[in-house]
Amino acid sequence: MAAPLSHELRALYSGESARVRDAFQANGRGPEALAARTALVESIALRLWRELVSPDSGGPHDFALVALGGFGRRWLFPYSDVDLLFLHAAGDTEREFKDAVRRFSQELWDLRVKLSPAARTLSECARFDPNNAEFSISLLDGRYLAGDRRLFSHLHERVIPKLVERESRSLLERLAELARERYAKFGDTVFHLETNVKDGPGGLRDCNLVSWIELISHLGKHACWPDEASLLPASVRKQYDPALSFLMSLRCFLHFRHSRDDNTLAWEAQNEAAALHVGMAGPTALSASDWMRVYFGHARTIHRMCVRLLDEIPAAGRSLYRQFQHMRSRVSNPEFLVVDGRIAWQGSEGVREPEVILRAFRFLARHDLRLSSAFESQIEQALPLVCADPPRGIELWHHLQEILIAPHAGAALREMHLLGFLTVVLPEMGQIDALVVRDYSHRFTVDEHTFVAIENLHELRQSRSKWDQRYAELLEEIEQPDLLYLALLLHDVGKGAKGDNHVQASVAIAETCLDRLELDEPDRETVLFLIAHHLELSACLRRDIFDPDTVRQLAERVETPERLKMLCLLTYADIKAVSPEALTPWKAEDIWQLYIGTANYFIRTVDDRFHASMDDEVMAHLLTLAPAAGHKLESFLEGLPRRYLRTHAASEIIGHIGMADRLADDRVQIALSRGRHLYELTLVTRDRPFLFATLAGVLAAWGMNIVKAAAFSNQARIVVDTFYFTDRFRTLELNLPEWERFKSSIHDVLTGKADLEKMLHDRMRSGRTAAPKVEVEPRVEIDDACSTQSTLIEVIGQDRPGFLHGISSIFSRENCNIEIAIIETEGQTAIDVFYLTAGGAKLTTAHQERVRDALMAELTRPQTSR
Amino acid sequence: MTKVEAVIQTAKLDAVKDALHEIGVEGMTVLEARGHGRQKGHTEVYRGREYTVDLIPKIKIEMVLSDEMVERAVEAIKVAARTGKIGDGKIFLTRVSDAIRIRNDDRGESAL
Repeated sequence: MAAPLSHELRALYSGESARVRDAFQANGRGPEALAARTALVESIALRLWRELVSPDSGGPHDFALVALGGFGRRWLFPYSDVDLLFLHAAGDTEREFKDAVRRFSQELWDLRVKLSPAARTLSECARFDPNNAEFSISLLDGRYLAGDRRLFSHLHERVIPKLVERESRSLLERLAELARERYAKFGDTVFHLETNVKDGPGGLRDCNLVSWIELISHLGKHACWPDEASLLPASVRKQYDPALSFLMSLRCFLHFRHSRDDNTLAWEAQNEAAALHVGMAGPTALSASDWMRVYFGHARTIHRMCVRLLDEIPAAGRSLYRQFQHMRSRVSNPEFLVVDGRIAWQGSEGVREPEVILRAFRFLARHDLRLSSAFESQIEQALPLVCADPPRGIELWHHLQEILIAPHAGAALREMHLLGFLTVVLPEMGQIDALVVRDYSHRFTVDEHTFVAIENLHELRQSRSKWDQRYAELLEEIEQPDLLYLALLLHDVGKGAKGDNHVQASVAIAETCLDRLELDEPDRETVLFLIAHHLELSACLRRDIFDPDTVRQLAERVETPERLKMLCLLTYADIKAVSPEALTPWKAEDIWQLYIGTANYFIRTVDDRFHASMDDEVMAHLLTLAPAAGHKLESFLEGLPRRYLRTHAASEIIGHIGMADRLADDRVQIALSRGRHLYELTLVTRDRPFLFATLAGVLAAWGMNIVKAAAFSNQARIVVDTFYFTDRFRTLELNLPEWERFKSSIHDVLTGKADLEKMLHDRMRSGRTAAPKVEVEPRVEIDDACSTQSTLIEVIGQDRPGFLHGISSIFSRENCNIEIAIIETEGQTAIDVFYLTAGGAKLTTAHQERVRDALMAELTRPQTSR
Repeated sequence: MTKVEAVIQTAKLDAVKDALHEIGVEGMTVLEARGHGRQKGHTEVYRGREYTVDLIPKIKIEMVLSDEMVERAVEAIKVAARTGKIGDGKIFLTRVSDAIRIRNDDRGESAL
């Protein structure tokens, strides 16, 4: 080619490219810039065609130039590749024009146009290559540029429609596979603080995906091209078009900013884009965070369209997938129908009741399903009605509890948030909707971080990682996991408030929320405590975690072992949700070490006693709650271990004082109640030998499985023993009259009117004990140094019916007094800690050894013999 | 030029960083590390299982300094990291033959 033309094209390309850039910088209109650049590259391609291939743009015969990909769509971004197809009718022209094509490509490369050329014959275009489905997909955007127009028409009107009609299923499956792989790279979420506006979920690639899926579906059904204007329904186009325009402007801005095809929307780029009002209709005074919310709004819209469309496309290996989905349809109930993994409402009219919506999300959280598009629309239509009178109070809390503790809570909450329902029932979540907080270690927006943290906790149960399994065991021990999940949901809501201290702000916002949910006072305190201290463990990791002072200070702030467990789990899930790399093995190990150090501290300082004269503040607080209790409060609490105060709410303490007060009428006071998972039995009476062992024996004789227990005594030797148990044979659950018989039975044994040994004998004779799933090595640990008044004995063994009765009877036979007992069961392992005295003092060494031998004999005794 | 590597207690990171900034040290690399010297491991028994930590969590700070800065930096680290107990850590000094700033090919002390 003559040098002057090369020079002319170079001058044209560089001059016009600068004009496109200047125009964009002046008006910020991305779609105009793309159209201008497309026209520029097109004009250069045509000049070259005329110069190198055919002086007539419509020639030669049997050879054509076709624009593909973004060039075909007229979306040529400033530094994008230019996809060109050299289309031949057959191999002859391919050989004939080989040299011209090489020179054509060379000239474009010399202009620094990033050309991606392909040469194919018509028959090659008609073939579907499963290993290169991308080429067939790129033909969908094919546009005639030059050469034999009839050849192009043949490709466009006959070859492509036939190809797509024949291979629509494979093309859709490949598209879906590529999209799912791409989403997985981005953690399946739109809400990255720094994202990629082309490949990220909700980015421009997803805009293409929407039109490709619609095109393939139409061609697959009708074997002809649809009218472009009607490709998307008007309701979809209303959201799609503004989102596309915004993303085009944004990517254009990024290309010019980076002077290359770099689509990363990093912090600095966000600042600039917000200041330049990129993508906005006109000048706005948006901060970078607010501008990012606009971005997330558009990206969420596009991503949601894609997810809905992809849901229609089964994954490869579809027969298995279908079978699985069909199997899942068995979870349908009279209210919700499940078809192909999606939930539809079976009601005859539109959804009006918020209760229905809440039940649908509970269903979703239990079964890992999606809502059908129709059901989503029904919910969206119902929102104005729900907003007018939103659900609240304890009923709302009961629904939320069920959602939060269900295995797919994260997915359900995300769906609630996406549809705007979550912010209707919990307006506090609106403050962190798509909120960007410039914390460089964080990867996600605040709302997404919250959902990921909740998922992290649920996923512990399935995890095979060593760390996760340790924390999974802790999670199983939590009495009220719903409170832990609620705290996680609200722990960062304060990040949306003004001010520097998001923890304080989160607590203040959560208080309003908990008022609306009408949580009981103890539950409310627990949730607020967790939110207020959610950075406490992380702060301790920056100190010496093996320093006894660090452990003591943490224990004093946390106050109870249960709260320590919850805080430990919350910290673990919270750090892990910062980014996939945030929870290093280093940190996981340190959190665990800090946890076990503090948990052991609680055990070893448990007999620290309460004295009214030294604890004015506690007394004053309790007296404000129960002014009538007066001196009874003081005499009841005097000498009780502080742990008693930490592990009981004020209302429970006042209840126990009432029971102690009634001892004059009846020397055995019993209270029985049923919690979410466990029954709770409280006994208040005067201490005497074999009391704890006897009570444990009665429970065993009734077939109850003791999961936890605690025994405390005050200075006046009044004991408060609390047992938490499961009802193995559902005796209490199925027979209401048995509640009274059960209590009477305990009363009769403790007052000597019934024979415990006979009851136990009958139970052991009739009961069949299954072989243990896990063998637990029995251990007896004795610590004589951790308490000034008592000897600590920790007993670990295989849990079995009558276990606690067996070992506590040994203490009584050995003349030991149980000052405090802390009983826990972890799976099939019983872990019981006792603080013992003999004659009001610690056990002597010889006495300790006798007790140890007797305990080991009991722990190693075959299960059947008594 | 000298490479200064300091292994310190995790609790002392902020104090050491502040002390180094005060004397004009601008750049450093901080690594989460584990190890022990004469301060041996830690064993805790929890629910019948023994959890032994042979390698104690530490922080390792690395920086390359011009020679006239080295002694001041060592002093700053010593003062800020010292508690007087076993486990305070150690400082290691190594001669560095050259340094290159990748961005602009600066070499030697001007690359620091």
